[in-house]
Amino acid sequence: MNDLHGILFAYRSDANLGELTRPRNTCSLPFGGRYRLIDFMLSNCVNAGITDVGVIVHQSYQSLLDHLGSGKDWDLSRKHGGLRILPPFSYTELGHGEYRGSMEALAGVRDYLSDIRQDYVLLAWGDVAINLPVDRVFQQHKDSGADITIVCTPTLKGAPQFSEYIEVSEEGRITDLSVHPTSAGKALESLEIYILSKRLLLDMVDYCAAHDVTNLSRGVLQPRLKSLKMVPYVHKGYVGRFQSVSDYFQRSQDLLDPEVRADLFDPARPIRTKDQSNPSTYYGPESVSKCSLVADGCFIEGEVENSILARGVIVEKGAKVSNSVLMQGTVVKTGASLSYVIADKAVTVNDGRVLMGHLTYPLAIAKGSVV
Amino acid sequence: MKKEVVAMLLAGGQGSRLYALTSNVAKPAVPFGGKYRIIDFPLSNCVNSGIDTVGVLTQYRPLELNAYLGNGQPWDLDRSDGGVHILPPYQREGEQGTWYKGTANAIYQNIGFQDLYDPEYVVVLSGDHIYKMDYSEMVSFHKKSGAACTISVLEVTMEEAKRFGILNVEANDKVYEFEEKPAQPKSNLASMGIYVFTWSKLRKYLIDDEADPSSSNDFGKNIIPNMLNAGEVMMAYRFAGYWKDVGTIESLWDANMDLLSRNSGLDMYDESWPIYARTPIKHPHVTGPDAVISHSLVTGGSRVEGTVANSVLFNTVTVEKGADIQYSILMPGATVKEGAKVAYSIVAEGATVEAGAAVGAPPDGSDGWGIAVVAGGVTVGANASVPPKAMIREDVKGGEQA
Repeated sequence: MNDLHGILFAYRSDANLGELTRPRNTCSLPFGGRYRLIDFMLSNCVNAGITDVGVIVHQSYQSLLDHLGSGKDWDLSRKHGGLRILPPFSYTELGHGEYRGSMEALAGVRDYLSDIRQDYVLLAWGDVAINLPVDRVFQQHKDSGADITIVCTPTLKGAPQFSEYIEVSEEGRITDLSVHPTSAGKALESLEIYILSKRLLLDMVDYCAAHDVTNLSRGVLQPRLKSLKMVPYVHKGYVGRFQSVSDYFQRSQDLLDPEVRADLFDPARPIRTKDQSNPSTYYGPESVSKCSLVADGCFIEGEVENSILARGVIVEKGAKVSNSVLMQGTVVKTGASLSYVIADKAVTVNDGRVLMGHLTYPLAIAKGSVV
Repeated sequence: MKKEVVAMLLAGGQGSRLYALTSNVAKPAVPFGGKYRIIDFPLSNCVNSGIDTVGVLTQYRPLELNAYLGNGQPWDLDRSDGGVHILPPYQREGEQGTWYKGTANAIYQNIGFQDLYDPEYVVVLSGDHIYKMDYSEMVSFHKKSGAACTISVLEVTMEEAKRFGILNVEANDKVYEFEEKPAQPKSNLASMGIYVFTWSKLRKYLIDDEADPSSSNDFGKNIIPNMLNAGEVMMAYRFAGYWKDVGTIESLWDANMDLLSRNSGLDMYDESWPIYARTPIKHPHVTGPDAVISHSLVTGGSRVEGTVANSVLFNTVTVEKGADIQYSILMPGATVKEGAKVAYSIVAEGATVEAGAAVGAPPDGSDGWGIAVVAGGVTVGANASVPPKAMIREDVKGGEQA
């Protein structure tokens, strides 16, 4: 056991993801054929030796609960600590919807925070596809003597209006943080992943609760840039963020690049997920499968190209699937043709239907739809 | 706590007719069907039948099997009461300790384990058969008939009957005679090696059998004939469905090929009777721009850039560009490099077939033909060749013929 505790924010349902986040929050968005987005940060925690992880949820979290269960697939089903799902329980602000900001979310689980057994806490969003060596971030945090370490990427990923950027002095200290600016400039993009001491976290939470401050970056980090030593950790590996349907489509297509797979699915730091005991995928006598990522339990008799197929997808004889993402249980019947389509779970595309989106505007089909 | 039914799974055999495939692992741990190991079938059958207490009797090369079973979590057998228990032979006070002398002796040595749960019935299973079966129906049949022992049987042809243990029955399926591999079979009911015993009866026969120095302590040779001779009621329970003994290279290959057929009777996609397995953490498999895959099974973590037809690929298999796989089984971690050809072969765990090598060949009707096997971890060098029916246990140098 190490001295780090994980807190993952899993309460946001990004409205820009349209149909994809209607039945779930962004953290439980299926990705890469067999994963949910939360698998990445959760596995990063486990791979760094973190034994206690709290997941803060607010609404639409049934799908996340189904997925996480007791946490046993991440070895987080433990006698002490382990995985804790944290719905709002000391939340006094009645009458409005989701948390207004991460500080309000932390205030909502204040009792849990005070019982944390570790001296340090990792704060992160659960909806980023990243294989982050959290143990190295933690080591750097301790070595640098920083009050807060912020994980950043040098390759800009997000749309500026949803992203945060930092500027760093020559001594390696963060001197400016801009939140949702109109343009990104040349700065490092913050991944909004932080390590800080439990004591500082509790101070911040109490200060914010007393002053009705809800936003971490604007309410705490910006005003304290001088009083707190904030240091970036620069992560050079792959980062996938999901702020729109076309983001989701393009990040899915990224997985067809062997270099991205080698980084994101590094066998030394495996990404764990819920095991479903599917059999192997069956390819029929006339099937075609090229440049695709195909999970177990599929039944493919038609043609698949440049696509990502999740567990249990059926592509019947004569059906064609190209440049598409098919989530679990999608059925594509004889003669149907799909191109630039994202089919959510359990979609059925009937005989002969032709569905076509475009790289810049992929066609997303809602969960359970019959076309 | 008392359990009505306890299952005892005989998993100690070497499986010597699988040759190199079992030189390092017990037969029940041999990989099967892309995702599984043989033992997943009886274990999953137990769980699906509502049996939550299973003793796994191990003896030969148990390490990989033990690691695979672990705490039984993949089969939901990590229970606070019951669950899966690994039962190796052990030493008693003032004794040297002995190996399991035979199937009956293995159960005898673990009378203490079974007494812990004080069961009414004990189901005895073996770890070398591929089938889906509801043991709870067999137990109900056993209870209704009031038998001391019920043996599950499969109807085979009279010709096949000569290779099996055959039960001769009266009109109501009451057994009156048991014949091991009869030259002139009187019935076509073959024993599947699946027994339900009333525990109080079995316990007594095990103790009596142990006291007989001439006994070979075997169910088929001793316990069953002794019970019949003593006039115990013994019933045949007819099973209809897919069942295959995978004790030889040919039958193991055949059973894997059966998974490719939709009409074999074994449906792995049927979610009402799932077969569970301990699955390594792997991303979905990847197909390259030149991949050609037909009538095959492919599993997570694999990368296919070449041609694969009529084959079963386990997890983390690599088939490079220009490689050609026909009617073969590639076990976890097997690698076939550029331009190599593999036909009618089993390439075991972590084995490598280097570029341009050729392993196995299609049947030519000759007696010398058979499935070629490359043992686990072995490398077949570049442009080397391995003939049909070969059993490759050591590296083959580049360019040589094994």
